[in-house]
Amino acid sequence: MEDLVESLTRGNPTEVKVVLASVALALAVYQLLLIAVGYGKLRPSFLAARPASAAHRASGDAIVVILVVVAVMCVSVFGFEDDALLHVVAGSALLAVLAVKIAVLRRWHGAGRFLPLLGTAVFLLLALTWLSSAGNFLADD
Amino acid sequence: MAGDDSHTRQMLLSLLVALLIVAAAIIVVTAKLGPTSAAEQEALEERQEERLKQREEIREERRERQEDQSGQDGS
Repeated sequence: MEDLVESLTRGNPTEVKVVLASVALALAVYQLLLIAVGYGKLRPSFLAARPASAAHRASGDAIVVILVVVAVMCVSVFGFEDDALLHVVAGSALLAVLAVKIAVLRRWHGAGRFLPLLGTAVFLLLALTWLSSAGNFLADD
Repeated sequence: MAGDDSHTRQMLLSLLVALLIVAAAIIVVTAKLGPTSAAEQEALEERQEERLKQREEIREERRERQEDQSGQDGS
């Protein structure tokens, strides 16, 4: 797997991971705005709640794919290093909460009232995961 | 019906904004990373090696020419 990632990224797994994680974070910030419109917390004249929620779901699906790709790259190339404990914990928690959120959306509709909480947790964990890896990398650059 | 059209348009525009955000994030981060990537470094080293080789070849040619000239002058 490591060889595949190395060849796909032309020997730049960290750089590609940083770009993908940053794209996910940027989209996550946009997701907050979209769902604020979806829940009626923001009421811009140019965007109704229903299309905002639909765009939130579509964009969210894209973020999930990006995050899974980043996670696979991260684990296959770097593994679970001790010196990146915060990143490992935040990243693992992010994937776990994301899985619960998807399960609530697709199966456990009764737990729908927890979606705002789960969404906020996903955003905060994503920000923490990014800060503890990509943010550090970009700051050192 | 008109409301559905408007909603579809709004959703498509929202997704277009998402695409623009993706493009902006890629541009900003790759610009920040700059030529630190391994591929860029390799390309830079290759160009430097190429330039060194060319310079070496020119020097060699000049030396040969000078040797030829001195050989002709001597005879």
